[in-house]
Amino acid sequence: MKIGIYFCNCGCNIADKISAEAVGKAAISFPDKPYLEIVDFICSEDGKLQFEESLKLEQPDRVVVAACSPRDHEATFRRCMTNVGMNPYLLQMVNIREQIAWVTEDPKVATEKAIAAILGAVCRVREQQPLEKKLLEVCPDALVIGAGPAGMKAALALAEAGRSVVVVERTPFIGGLPVRFEDLFPSLECAPCMLEPLMGEMLHGDFPGTIELMTLSEVVAVTGFYGNFNVKIRQKPRHVSLHECIGCGECVEACPAVTTNEFNSNASDCKAIDFAFTGVLPNAPYLKEEICIRSRGEECRACKDACPMGEDVVDLDEVEKIVERRIGSIILATGARLYDASSVEGLGMGVLPNVFDALQFERMLSSTGPTGGEVATSEGIAPAAIAIIHCVGSLDDAHKPYCSGICCQYAFKFNHLITAKLPATAITHYHRELVVPGKAAHTLLNHAVKNENTTMKRFNSVTDLAVIQDATGRLQVSVKGESAPADMVILCPAMIPAEGSASLAALLDVSLDASGFYLELHGRIDAAQSTVKGVYLAGSCQEPMDIQRAMLEGMASVGHSLAGLQPGRMIEIEPITAGVDETHCAGCHLCITVCPYHAIAFNPELNVSRINAVLCHGCGTCVAACPAGAITGHHFTNAQIMAEMEGVLK
Amino acid sequence: MPEKPKLALYWAASCGGCEIAVVNLNEKILDLDAAFDFMFCPCLLDTKIKDIEALPDGAIAVTLFNGALRTEENVEMAHLLRRKSQILVAFGSCAKGGCIPALANFTTKDELLNSIFIDSFSVDNSTGIIPSGTTSFPEGDIHLPGMLGRVKHLAQEVEVDYQIPGCPPEPEQIWNAVEAILSGNLPAKGSTIGCGTLTVCDDCNRTKEEKRITAFRRNYEFYPEPELCMLEQGLLCMGIATRNGCGAPCTKANMPCTGCYGAPDGISDQGAKMVAALGSVMDIGDTTGLSEEAIAARVDAFLATIPDYAGQFYKYTLASSTLGGRVRR
Repeated sequence: MKIGIYFCNCGCNIADKISAEAVGKAAISFPDKPYLEIVDFICSEDGKLQFEESLKLEQPDRVVVAACSPRDHEATFRRCMTNVGMNPYLLQMVNIREQIAWVTEDPKVATEKAIAAILGAVCRVREQQPLEKKLLEVCPDALVIGAGPAGMKAALALAEAGRSVVVVERTPFIGGLPVRFEDLFPSLECAPCMLEPLMGEMLHGDFPGTIELMTLSEVVAVTGFYGNFNVKIRQKPRHVSLHECIGCGECVEACPAVTTNEFNSNASDCKAIDFAFTGVLPNAPYLKEEICIRSRGEECRACKDACPMGEDVVDLDEVEKIVERRIGSIILATGARLYDASSVEGLGMGVLPNVFDALQFERMLSSTGPTGGEVATSEGIAPAAIAIIHCVGSLDDAHKPYCSGICCQYAFKFNHLITAKLPATAITHYHRELVVPGKAAHTLLNHAVKNENTTMKRFNSVTDLAVIQDATGRLQVSVKGESAPADMVILCPAMIPAEGSASLAALLDVSLDASGFYLELHGRIDAAQSTVKGVYLAGSCQEPMDIQRAMLEGMASVGHSLAGLQPGRMIEIEPITAGVDETHCAGCHLCITVCPYHAIAFNPELNVSRINAVLCHGCGTCVAACPAGAITGHHFTNAQIMAEMEGVLK
Repeated sequence: MPEKPKLALYWAASCGGCEIAVVNLNEKILDLDAAFDFMFCPCLLDTKIKDIEALPDGAIAVTLFNGALRTEENVEMAHLLRRKSQILVAFGSCAKGGCIPALANFTTKDELLNSIFIDSFSVDNSTGIIPSGTTSFPEGDIHLPGMLGRVKHLAQEVEVDYQIPGCPPEPEQIWNAVEAILSGNLPAKGSTIGCGTLTVCDDCNRTKEEKRITAFRRNYEFYPEPELCMLEQGLLCMGIATRNGCGAPCTKANMPCTGCYGAPDGISDQGAKMVAALGSVMDIGDTTGLSEEAIAARVDAFLATIPDYAGQFYKYTLASSTLGGRVRR
């Protein structure tokens, strides 16, 4: 076997410490007596040319490049080898710059180290085998889970790019949390008005691609892998045809069954068949089976009879169904919700009247909400004093250690909107920290601070606060015993991941962070990618964020989806993966458990495990774990690793 | 009538189970006798060492050598039988990997003798005599062979042609190996014969699912489900890291595999492989947000459910393992 060692001086970076001449002398006694060629800067244009010319002339079977970190230039030298018709996996790099020359004082010692490392590489490269990249056809279409701001933005952009998009939404409507708000920080835009164009396009837009919206739906199974996912979606029966219903509401009038409306924080009533809230899109009611009197075995078809659009619009016999779709990438946009403020003791949530969390108050402010936008106590009286408590369960190791980043901003929005409706009402902000980043958020803060009816009070710990009801029935908010009256208390709790995000993570094998949000591939440079290839993150399912960032992450996730999967273009599969020797696999299943990428499946007919090369990251966990020694890590075989170690230790 | 090829069955440091396994060939033992001149077996026949010494080199066709090398006499016999045999087979786990005798490599020769002859509760040895060397009696001298510092397996002392695993080897597999030898249909020298090419899981017909183990339990603590993988039930079954061919009689009898057939092909250290495999399926629960100390405490709690690492993972292979026993600095 002919082996070539290419020694890069890297100017004086390597040459000052390591003697190429001494390495050349030592190499004579290496296995297969490799030749050694010295290059001044092998990564330069001249250096690469010299490398390629030498490869053509010498025609080695294996190549060792002793230079810098493979992170810097392994790809460069692999390309050079491909250029001259060699298999690029017959290269072994030795990092004699960072790992030896830069960190060794004595040139003699450095040269000895370099000789040992290069001998290791020579021994290893003799064991290396040519590997080939494989190509795989992919589906360019996408699944978006969640139809809030981030999900809608993603779906629209994908459809605009010509992709078919399946949007799965758990609630009966689109628009997420903010569509239920009145005005938004920082500029007090009307939320439904701002979102309406997006929602309109979601439902009726004309795009090169298609958007298939499934409301009241959940993903229940995911198989396959990047570029070739198969998903099963459970659609709960809406009992109202989205296609034919015009949203006239006649059925609602006719319905005899009443309950409280969860989308108004249960602060108002609704019918068994009803709209989620006024102005909701899609503009159609849905039937809550468990409320409908038919669920008690009684016969009723009041809604169906009331429908002026015909017999087929309301389908009382509609049943749950499971639909399957094939897609290439998945965008998670499942959003967030409020931490349960009643778990922060002493603030009266769920115990005292007129203590609301921020979402309940958003609905109170909303003209489509339970009070039609009127700020009033449960007794129907305009409050003379309102306390707004920030940081409820945030920045608090006993609850959530992080700052949700949006609460201060909406709290000052509340201040503004309350003052506009009730100019004489005194407002006290109890805050631990104040967080108003960015170029626009300060205006609402300034407005509140300049408001002569506003008082700011800082607390150290939420345990210093207490909300009680005094003998007259009025609320009293105290900080370390110093008490002030309030007719209404608004709590701003931490943001936490939406319900069901953990089970969805389990389904997709996406990792969660310590707070239960979906874990990014990298917090700074890859925040819109999950730990699973082809599953992207958008919006507050990744971390608490405002609408602006959610929209941007929606677009970022689309960028990944579009860049990775293109119609007609196959994806390349890296050959450095693990492979099962089926003649040695006894079918113990152990590898399936350990694979962090769900890349291994069991073939029950052959009683063997098989690795999907698309999903395999080549991490080697299964190779180490396989108790039968039946799994090989290509390019990192035991023989290669042992040969390298033996070479270094010779 | 041409002379039948000679067969020897020798025991070094062993329990006698390998001889019993040969006897368990049952009626096949007649076929064995028909094919071979069964001429040396201290447990059954009265052949003397001087008879073996008198044979020309290579006179014995096949020697099945069982037992580990514990004493100088074991070593002497290993060399003698190597010289006199055309095919020397390391027969059973002691000869192949050291087995139970080699667990003594976790202690020193002196500590061992001290435990047996002086410190043991059941021993009354006020003069502190440790039997060794030559002792004279009126009837004559008795010579005790010296003990080696470390127990060795056969191949650490002499060249071994084939190995047959098992503690003891299963009779069907002994016969398979004998047939292979008789027919000359043998794999490359140094191979392990009389066994399968997979692991015990292939012989075990229990249902295997994904493995997540929260704690180990011991046999006496519960009755394992007869259809489910023992490891998944929390029993430390060595089957995943053990060569097959035994037919999994232990798991069929609702007992976990203890690993007597040794490491599968291509694995050099059965215990290390088992530890690597278990480390991968150890389930210490959700560690999100836990401190390093809390995680370490959970790992310790898991490990505390394994009572005897050495006896569990290296019961049959300590002499042939990477470390070989206690490492003395």
